[in-house]
Amino acid sequence: MSNYQEIHDVVWPRATRQMELLETAPRLDTLDGKTVCQLWDFLFRGDEVFDLLEGGLKERYPGVNFISWKEFGSTHGSDEREILASLPAKMKSMGVDAVISGMGC
Amino acid sequence: MLRASAVAEKAGVPSSSLVCEGFLGQAGTTSVGLGLPNLPVALVPGHVGTQGSEELAENILKVTLDDVVENLTVAPGAVAIAEDPAPRDVVFSGTIDEINRLFIENEWSDGLPIIPPTTERVEAFLGFTDRDPNEVLGILLPDSRAATVWSVAVNGVMAGCRPEYMPILIALIEAMADPDYGVEHSGNTPGGETLITINGPIAKQLRFNDEQGVLRDGFQPNTSVGRFWRLALRNLAGFLLHKNDKCTFGNTWRVVMAENEPVLDALGWTTLAEDLGVSKGSNAVSISRYTGSSLIASASGDTGDKILPYIADGVLKQNTWHLVFTIGPSPGTLRPLTIFSPIVAETLVKDGWTKESIQQYFFDHCRMPAWEFERYIGEWTEHPIRDLQDQVNLRRAPEDFAENDDPNRLVPITFTPEDFMIGVSGDPLRNHAITFAHNGLLGYPVAREIELPSDWDAKLKAAR
Repeated sequence: MSNYQEIHDVVWPRATRQMELLETAPRLDTLDGKTVCQLWDFLFRGDEVFDLLEGGLKERYPGVNFISWKEFGSTHGSDEREILASLPAKMKSMGVDAVISGMGC
Repeated sequence: MLRASAVAEKAGVPSSSLVCEGFLGQAGTTSVGLGLPNLPVALVPGHVGTQGSEELAENILKVTLDDVVENLTVAPGAVAIAEDPAPRDVVFSGTIDEINRLFIENEWSDGLPIIPPTTERVEAFLGFTDRDPNEVLGILLPDSRAATVWSVAVNGVMAGCRPEYMPILIALIEAMADPDYGVEHSGNTPGGETLITINGPIAKQLRFNDEQGVLRDGFQPNTSVGRFWRLALRNLAGFLLHKNDKCTFGNTWRVVMAENEPVLDALGWTTLAEDLGVSKGSNAVSISRYTGSSLIASASGDTGDKILPYIADGVLKQNTWHLVFTIGPSPGTLRPLTIFSPIVAETLVKDGWTKESIQQYFFDHCRMPAWEFERYIGEWTEHPIRDLQDQVNLRRAPEDFAENDDPNRLVPITFTPEDFMIGVSGDPLRNHAITFAHNGLLGYPVAREIELPSDWDAKLKAAR
């Protein structure tokens, strides 16, 4: 039977992190003349939010272009893995310079 | 949403992630697991779900817009990540009280006392598997941690399991790592909790409760294995309250349910594990996530015609917002689970019902008017495609959801009769049933066979 004051040597209870730490992508000098794509998880009024952001950004950067979330489908749910796997090639073919991704709520 | 941003960043495209105010902490910790601890986010003040159009516009244009511009044009600062100890490192020496205080302070414990995970205790667990302690069973999001046989044993010790439960614990983590289950969703706001079911001879060998009070704490294997599951979500996957676990309310872990296999055999019914693809007679665990359950008390009658309308009514009423898993982001993934007590199942079989005919009954009778269904998948849950006809046209729903345009037509709540899962457990001589509200893709049912060590019988005998 363990003594109440017995000393125990205990090991680390967590599993080891496996991810590789990555650098974020280089940022843009301006959004003017750039193509921004909208990625949406089809949740939390993202359609309204993207419309608002698109209008606000166009006021500040008249030359900015947008590719609608409708071009990509939902980034959440059954289609997530397939859509994200195809995303790099699709962004390249569409000449995407930046991404706005929503909604985390 | 953050996973999409991470894919963009890895492809060399700068991103801005739109995050509501209450989720900034979760975004920070999730970003670490994605390998991008400085992934930029744009604040969305408050929660969009409670804002009118004017308030939303003001928040987005006055706050979020500036953040988006900064996210895309200014390089984010570096974020330092503390290095973890090695798996077998002794991290502390102390009394049981000191150890418990340390584990709670470091969020390694659920708040209940743990059994100190000493090397000696961990080795005892490892004696009940032939697997290499360093074998990686899966990389678990959100922290991207490598769940090894060793780390499973450590958390089994902490949970108060016995060493001979180790084969079950390994199978559970293999199931947790199955992409179909979707462990990455375990910190979502509805806060569903996993129900573990055990099948096969091992349930009796290890003395799992499969009868009265099966879902109540009180039997060591049912209780401690259930606790292990949540400790594993904490320490192996990385779900911590106020960080990656954003359940709005949540609930305590469920104890493991053992099915009553002698009754199932007598009825000629398959087990839940068999229904998920495991061969008959195998030892297996099954997992699935549910946000709630409802007891269907006193299912009375001597025929299915008397009993089943009442149970089907209970099953239907348990599924409300969950219908977004029938038609929504993950179409066809709703798998409502109903457990009959043995006497209910026996009465139905005596009246000529099979598991398959009961599933068909549920499919035919757990139905609601199309207008009500559309309210659940649209107006009330803010999903963009709200019309069932549109969903059928997009081939995201079978045609029976839009047979005509009558808003009062009755539509099913699942895609197929087989989506209704049925099990048998609980008090053998009380005529109750219980039904669970499934969370679709956010915890889809997955089963795993339990792999026993080569000298299982001898080891088990010695342990007893």
